[in-house]
Amino acid sequence: MTAVRLLELLLLLAALAGFLGLLLRRNLFLKVLAMDVLGSAVVALFVLFAARSGLRSPILQIPGEVASVADPIPQGVILTAIVIGLSIQALLLVVVTQLARLDPSLDADSFDQGSLG
Amino acid sequence: MNLFDALNGQLRVLLTSWLLFPFLAAFVAALLPRLGRPLVLLSSAATAIVACTSLLGAPPISLALLGDLGVTLRVDRLSGWFLLLNALLFAAVVLEGWLRAQFSARPMLLLVLQGGLSVSCVATDLVSLYVTLELVGISAFLLVVLPQRESTLWVSLRYLLVSNTAMSLYLVGAGLVYVQRESFQLGALNNLPFGAPQIFLLIGLFTKGGLFLAGLWLPRTHAEAPAEISALLSGVVVTGGIAPLLRLADIDAVLYGAIRWVGMASALLGVVYALNARDAKRLLAWSTLSQMGLVVLSPLSGGAMAFAHGLAKGALFLSARQFSTRSLQDWGSRAMAPLALGVLWVASLSIAGLPPLAGFAAKKQLEGSLPDPWSWLVLMVSVGTVAVYARLWTVGFQVKPHDPSESGPLLPQLLAFGVLLLPLCFGAEAIAPVRPLASSLLTTGLVFAAGLLLHAVLQTLRPLPLPMLERLDQLLGGAVLLGAGLLAAFAGGLA
Repeated sequence: MTAVRLLELLLLLAALAGFLGLLLRRNLFLKVLAMDVLGSAVVALFVLFAARSGLRSPILQIPGEVASVADPIPQGVILTAIVIGLSIQALLLVVVTQLARLDPSLDADSFDQGSLG
Repeated sequence: MNLFDALNGQLRVLLTSWLLFPFLAAFVAALLPRLGRPLVLLSSAATAIVACTSLLGAPPISLALLGDLGVTLRVDRLSGWFLLLNALLFAAVVLEGWLRAQFSARPMLLLVLQGGLSVSCVATDLVSLYVTLELVGISAFLLVVLPQRESTLWVSLRYLLVSNTAMSLYLVGAGLVYVQRESFQLGALNNLPFGAPQIFLLIGLFTKGGLFLAGLWLPRTHAEAPAEISALLSGVVVTGGIAPLLRLADIDAVLYGAIRWVGMASALLGVVYALNARDAKRLLAWSTLSQMGLVVLSPLSGGAMAFAHGLAKGALFLSARQFSTRSLQDWGSRAMAPLALGVLWVASLSIAGLPPLAGFAAKKQLEGSLPDPWSWLVLMVSVGTVAVYARLWTVGFQVKPHDPSESGPLLPQLLAFGVLLLPLCFGAEAIAPVRPLASSLLTTGLVFAAGLLLHAVLQTLRPLPLPMLERLDQLLGGAVLLGAGLLAAFAGGLA
């Protein structure tokens, strides 16, 4: 159980690292990547939640084995989130390439200044 | 009674096909673009029918697709208001742009957005909400970014970045709820000790609904988007996050407390910044942030408030196309054509709460459903709201023949504004009969007088020295700060 707790802590730290990157990096490209770190940490967290009851995927019942299988519900849920995360990442990167034409350094502050006028 | 039982099976099929229709229609619209706008109207009509049946007293219908852990939906009176708003606003936006040469809203995206919003106000499980809110976010982002203007690139990127971050946190919350309760139902939050799960969920929904510090992305995004997109964003897209908040407020008392405090803070913040705005569209957008705060104050009146506000704000943003200037400094020296001016007055008076418009009835219902100190605060916000819109009322009247090249063809506009403003003018009785009428009228008179006085005083004091709150790091930091504040205020108090 302590191993699970430790993993949970590590994943929350990864999520925090992603969020801090999003907040503190000035480069937009790095901000978008940091958002992905946050997203991946959340996905891994769900996989960990699913593993509370066991590790094996509940696909095949092996005769004679009292299987402790993983909870399929969080795993199923997070599949959707992975797809959504991927598409949002792609859309953001397209906009970032467009913005790079306006300011190749992709400095978030300069865009904020520009739109404040 | 028995008729409903007998029809129950068919009802389920009908409801599911109504929810699927916009998404299928979106495919058709992508393949056959000419069918796009008629399909939006058709989908709006279907949504309006569902909304009216639940508003006219049909019993609430709960659907559980794929069992208890699957998708659960609930069509009831609360969702009825949001669905009717959704139907009317999309229909009006499409009608208004019917003959317009450059119409930036693509019907395919409109259909996806409408479908997503319909689901978000009837869904009652955390995962369906997550998926539909992300869908709403992506399609709203595409609607803002596709006109390909430099100014919208940055605001749309900000919007998607902030909203996706908030929804990632929401997902953590959903996971934590599942670990404790083995369920993703909203009902699982009932009596759950207030802590991290609720905070994460609330941050996601507050961000989507444009509330207080989590909603600081809203003013600039809504102000920079093209007119018809702004109308959708401010009128109905924000309600995607508001409807689930109202459901949560109904489920758990502590959650309701947290939501109510944040709503009131949002109402005050929005009014103060709207009073200080220099740009007409930004004034409207800040006012949205404030009004959404009022909407979440009470689950009882929230639907009607969102309905009255959404129609009025949609009409205001649609007519913003015809503002001759967006700067409020020389607003008083400008003049507007009769139609646009009429829309401006009716819609803004409804938001300010003038009888007999729908906004008045909704506001009275809100005040009636709140305990005493809260209803006084609502009155204060109302005074501020009158002062905000008094700034727009200084614009002059200009008689000139209608010029289609400048403001677009007349007939579609008349239809569109008719769709939005007629329910505002005649819908008050449907929301709630105001009793006792005399004292309500007296309060409203006093609020208007105080509001106009405040307007006169502020004319000399502007610009107020308010901090700038809309840099990207402030948007992200604001959401987290709000979460930390809620944790300190509510989790500590109950431990």
